[in-house]
Amino acid sequence: MTLINKRTRNCGLMLALTLVFVMSACQKDFLDRKAQGAYDQNNYPYPGGSGPYDEFINGAYASLRSYDVTVMPFVAAVSIRSDDADKGSTPADGPDALQMDNLNVLPSNGMTNVLWLGHFDLVGKSNYVIDRIKNDPNPLTPANLKVEAEAQARFLRAYAYFMMVRLFGRVPLIDKVTTGAASESNIPQSGPAQLYPFIEADLQFAAANLPMSYDAKFVGKITSGAANGLLAKVYLTQKKYAAAMAAANSVMTSGQYNLSVPYSTVFNEEGENSRESVFEVQATADAANPTAFGSQHANVQGVRGTGAWDLGWGFNVPSTSLEAAYEANDPRKARTILYTGGTTLFGEAVPSGLPNPRYNHKVYTNPARRASVGNRFGWWMNVRLLRYADVVLMYAEAANEVGGAANTTNALTALNSIRARARGGNPAILPNVVTADQETLRQAIRRERRVEMGMEYDRFFDLVRWGIAAQELQNQGKNFVAGKHELLPIPQTQIDLSKGTLTQNPGY
Amino acid sequence: MKRKSLLVFLCLFSLSYAFAQDITVRGKVTDAQNSETLIGVSILVKGTNTGTQTDMNGDYSINAPTGGTLVFSYLGFISQEIAVNGRTTINVQLAVSAQSLEQVVVVGYGTQRKRDLTGSITSVKGTDIEKSPNTNPVSSLQGKVAGLTVVNSGTPGAAPTIRIRGVNSTNSANPIFVVDGVIQTNIDYVNPADIESMEVLKDPSSTAIFGIQGGNGVIVVTTKRAAKGETRISFQSNTGIQNVPNQIDVVDADGFRKLYTAQLANLGAAPFDFTNYTANTDWQDLVLRSAVITNNNLSISNSGEKSTTLVNLGYSNQNGVLKNSGFQKYTARLNEEIRINRNLKIGADLTGFHYISNPADVNLNNVLWAAPVVPVQFDASTYYSMPSFQRAQVGNAIANLNRTDGTSLNKGYRAIGNIFGELTFLKQFKARSAFYTDLGFNGSRSYNPLPFSFINLGEGTIPTTTTFDNTVKTSVSQNQQEFRKFQQDHTITYDTTFNNIHKFTALGGFTSLYEGNTSLSGSRRDTSLNIPNDPDFWYLGIVNNSNPAASVGGGGGESAQMSYFGRINYAFRDRYLVNMTVRRDGISKFAPENRWGTFGSIGLGWVISDEGFFDNVKKVDFLKLRSAWGTLGNAQGFGNNLYLPGLNTSVVGVFGNNVYPSVIPAYIPDPNLHWEVIRGFDVGLEMKAFDYRFSADVALYDRTTRDIITSVDLPNQPLNLLTNLGTISNRGIEVSLGWNDKIGENFTYSISPNFSYNQNKVESIGDNFNFQLTGNGGANRTVSGGSIGYFYGYKQVGVYQSTADLDKMPGFANSLPGDIAYEDIDGNGVITPADRTNLGSPFPDFNYGINLTLGYKNFDAILEGQGVAGNYVYTQRRTQNFAVLNYESNRLNAWTGPGTNNVEPVLDNTRGNNFLFSSYFLEPGDYFRLRTVQLGYTFGKPMLAKAGIKGLRLFLSGQNIHTFSKTTGYTPEAPLGNILGAGADNGVYPVPAVYTFGINATF
Repeated sequence: MTLINKRTRNCGLMLALTLVFVMSACQKDFLDRKAQGAYDQNNYPYPGGSGPYDEFINGAYASLRSYDVTVMPFVAAVSIRSDDADKGSTPADGPDALQMDNLNVLPSNGMTNVLWLGHFDLVGKSNYVIDRIKNDPNPLTPANLKVEAEAQARFLRAYAYFMMVRLFGRVPLIDKVTTGAASESNIPQSGPAQLYPFIEADLQFAAANLPMSYDAKFVGKITSGAANGLLAKVYLTQKKYAAAMAAANSVMTSGQYNLSVPYSTVFNEEGENSRESVFEVQATADAANPTAFGSQHANVQGVRGTGAWDLGWGFNVPSTSLEAAYEANDPRKARTILYTGGTTLFGEAVPSGLPNPRYNHKVYTNPARRASVGNRFGWWMNVRLLRYADVVLMYAEAANEVGGAANTTNALTALNSIRARARGGNPAILPNVVTADQETLRQAIRRERRVEMGMEYDRFFDLVRWGIAAQELQNQGKNFVAGKHELLPIPQTQIDLSKGTLTQNPGY
Repeated sequence: MKRKSLLVFLCLFSLSYAFAQDITVRGKVTDAQNSETLIGVSILVKGTNTGTQTDMNGDYSINAPTGGTLVFSYLGFISQEIAVNGRTTINVQLAVSAQSLEQVVVVGYGTQRKRDLTGSITSVKGTDIEKSPNTNPVSSLQGKVAGLTVVNSGTPGAAPTIRIRGVNSTNSANPIFVVDGVIQTNIDYVNPADIESMEVLKDPSSTAIFGIQGGNGVIVVTTKRAAKGETRISFQSNTGIQNVPNQIDVVDADGFRKLYTAQLANLGAAPFDFTNYTANTDWQDLVLRSAVITNNNLSISNSGEKSTTLVNLGYSNQNGVLKNSGFQKYTARLNEEIRINRNLKIGADLTGFHYISNPADVNLNNVLWAAPVVPVQFDASTYYSMPSFQRAQVGNAIANLNRTDGTSLNKGYRAIGNIFGELTFLKQFKARSAFYTDLGFNGSRSYNPLPFSFINLGEGTIPTTTTFDNTVKTSVSQNQQEFRKFQQDHTITYDTTFNNIHKFTALGGFTSLYEGNTSLSGSRRDTSLNIPNDPDFWYLGIVNNSNPAASVGGGGGESAQMSYFGRINYAFRDRYLVNMTVRRDGISKFAPENRWGTFGSIGLGWVISDEGFFDNVKKVDFLKLRSAWGTLGNAQGFGNNLYLPGLNTSVVGVFGNNVYPSVIPAYIPDPNLHWEVIRGFDVGLEMKAFDYRFSADVALYDRTTRDIITSVDLPNQPLNLLTNLGTISNRGIEVSLGWNDKIGENFTYSISPNFSYNQNKVESIGDNFNFQLTGNGGANRTVSGGSIGYFYGYKQVGVYQSTADLDKMPGFANSLPGDIAYEDIDGNGVITPADRTNLGSPFPDFNYGINLTLGYKNFDAILEGQGVAGNYVYTQRRTQNFAVLNYESNRLNAWTGPGTNNVEPVLDNTRGNNFLFSSYFLEPGDYFRLRTVQLGYTFGKPMLAKAGIKGLRLFLSGQNIHTFSKTTGYTPEAPLGNILGAGADNGVYPVPAVYTFGINATF
């Protein structure tokens, strides 16, 4: 007995001692586990030379390209809702978009919620960049790089707020990153009176601190021209005509832009990032990545056929009202409206009997590019958010509104430069506008703006800022209630989430 | 051997010098059932401290007064008291405790007699689990354990969702499994026929020994060991057919034409030209099938004097009721224990697991949505596409199934092993060290074949065309994952009895757990060649490097945990029981300053029936009152390094044709992020009565979870916040009853119902939250005072029949006749968002099960039923509105004019008011399911002996034969996995009915 017990006792003691040793030795290191195969924000080795915050700014640019910000909900809210376009697709498809078309948008409309989320995502990511700049752990980051990065972020934030103030009227003004206290993120809405100065300040900062252009490898990054161009639109929307004129003028005199690109090329693949391009959402695709780096903007509007003609979902189709807005033989009409049974700009015959009589020709893709990418859905198409012609027309409008002989001449010159390009060398069409009457010129500029920019995102906002939305849309048989339908409803989902901190827009 | 016996004898003899006047009693203790010797039976001279144990041969020797009484006790057996009466040889047969009081249950790091428990633990025997034809053993627990909710998945190989005593967290409410000591989050690899018992540890005092992992409850799985003293071969096999008992009632072609035409008319659109769409296709019928399931198990065990060995082999094959899907599972286990000497035992266990899974590449929703007017197939490579109104959104499910049949090869291998040594020293001490490992290797290869040609039938002026998508190129992908787990447990147990009345057990221990994994994946497209449709070619290397860049991925993860724990069990006269536990855990998920926590519990028990005053109570055999309190943690379900969010690099910045990386943190962590804290109180009463024929166990519990880790959608912020939320409570009652008896000689029966009620309540959402937590886009809401994630919406009162109705009933400004009329909750005369209300909870209030067994001569029968009550199911699949989808048959009754229908609104998917979340989309989730009906026949022993067979049972079984329910989905068991947004039926995989024939043989 003793034999066994002695042996086992020794064993037991040894075991216990070993355990104590093992336990105490490994305790600290054993529990210190780092993430495997993943960076965190403090060890991301972004290569130097391209700017110290580019990896965060790129995230904001990606948000700009997203479905929520510049694709289907965007198109529905800015174009389908206007008199330029109808919903398209098949009759019962896309009920949320149909609500936009018929102006019976409910607070439960999914697109309004997505628009809200998408733009706040852009705001949040922009704020995140600014936060990283303020809390940069590296004391040696050159000040000029900080300023330029902040200018990029503030432009994108301003773009998001400019969209939101026009879509929703009142939204929470968020200018920093929430860090911990969750309640900080639930704040009440600010109205245009607070939002516009905020937007202006961001854009003025961007305009003052951004370069006029970039290397080819960063083409499409925000320039001072883009900031001034958008600033012009912000001023114009607020009827600050002199300021709008000045901002537009600084774009026009920057030497970066002109009207040299033919109208028929502006919207093509080869028209991307041309002299026409002021602010263009960048998208690309190749055979290996036919969608990952692209935008679905062209896809949702593509011809809804079958087989080789299955180019997309067929939403946002030109309306008969837009069709009727063109002067005789205006070549811009054919470049804007693609007819079922008609011919594309590449000479292909569109089959007859498609679900819709007309499609948006401006997002029509080059068949050669479709073949090379191996995808029919046009994910490579950039979204032209701000073109030079838009800036020129804003200048014309602002100059005419400011008034005076010199400004009227400037306005006429600007307006006729747009018509001259549209004419494409054909003297028989689109004669120069000649008038000294402010109202006549105003109407001419408005008509020009509509046809030059048909299907291009501004029509609804233009009608609202001109104060003629009710009249024009009621003429189209739509039930536009002044004082209500200028804005979308605040998404009920967001009101619920805010526990009532957010309040609904009037009439909804 | 003899020498050792002698040694033991001498040793015992030396102790007993004080009782020189006594006689020496010798004897052998055996199992009454099979005459196996019992080792380690404790023998005590009643009323003294004198005691001994049986040796390796079951022999004992003890000095006792000639007129004394010996008490023989052994875990799991009924104790016996035998008067010596001057005898020197007393052989004893101990009977297995059928009444389960003496039954031993496995608790954390040890075992305990059931009668000594102070917490709520329900034990399910392996024999009950192996009778059900499930490939996953957890499925078989459904309806058997009060307080345990099992939501089965019909997907072959998928693990069910388990909840113990309600939902304790907003994150992961999954319990952990402890399989022979290894902490696991799933037990897919366990062979259901190789399980000795499963113990469900429900209350905090039982699970506190598992500390931060025990918060959601623990299921302890013990696999089989070799039967004592014999060589045994047993074989179980069952084969059956599964089918889907009820399809979702969608309309046929005529119904579709009628409804779509009506809808277009309501929209003011031109009618659709159905000329070419003359088919009447039942897509569900084509996609679903009757499928074979088989489970087979072979066990060989041997138990010798010094070692025991068990070899187990299992194979199961479940074809899915969805075509082309299936799951095959192979298991092999070797268990070996070697007794080196009386004090030292070592053992090892090795389990191998291999699975082959074929997923069905079809979305059931897609099947429900497909228009029935479309024909399926023209020839082997030409199919019909859907009509233009749904072509972009809905594919031809059969084409997809056929194209992808066999193009995904998924295989996994897993090896789980342990090795342990157990040393008994200084008589009362036992040291045990065990090392565990679990290594897994999963791999998959898949192939994207060329598409079929599609016929687009002509519509109106559009001619019929045939298309072939020549942009699709063949591609292959390969994925590999490797994961590993290392665990060690070291415990020292001190077990003693003072003065025969103070029974004392103390346990101290240390454990650590490391888990790591890596993965590698890639996919490549061949733009010049067509890779053949043959698995031999499906490797990344088959694609020439000149092809465009491949997508590749790889990742990894690591986590670690270490803990110290201790437990004291004390029993005074076996009557007053105390159980105390403490555990200190450190876990790598949290920041160093928030990493360590201490948890513990205390439990008290009082065996009332052992009190003197109880002797007068004749009918009650046993009565125990128990109560326990405990605190523990929970951090299940989240990834590693919670306090250090990784970067989300999935999106890129694009400039021109240049692509640049971008990063954003995956979430914002609360700087003070820590585990959830669970506190619970449990009171229970156990009773056996009427000669142990009746048993009852009633438990009341009250448990709160504080600081729930939640990923919160912040308003107006792109990133979620990971933080500790407020407090939720679960209070409930569990009742388990049992009655078993005999009528005459030949008829035995038992009936055991169980029932549990759980009330889930959000006590507080936390001070920091001035906004709403929602799920399913606002349909589920979590606020203080309500059930977690209750349904929140409008209450339907009817359908506006006419403009007159609109005038007199409250409505929205834009309500029209044919729209759903909602209740004006706030009574202000108009319907606004303020009229939404609590429409019920997705979580059942009641869970119940009833098990009935009958035996007549050699026949036996099992009847099991199970159900839930008090919850609602959200028919989310009906809210889809993005295209024209096939209609469920309720829409045949849609309102078409005044007086036509008062439930179903008009056919117009642009009337957004009718798609608001309301009671229109809710169905009562109550159901009762006939879970098992089984008839068995056991052959008589004399008949079998000639064939060398020890036992043989044949049975016919039906599972899930019928479910009584008001829901319209495949199963009333809507998913509860997403806790803030639970209960939404968005295409739940059907739970099949299974009819099997089986055989159980022992040689």
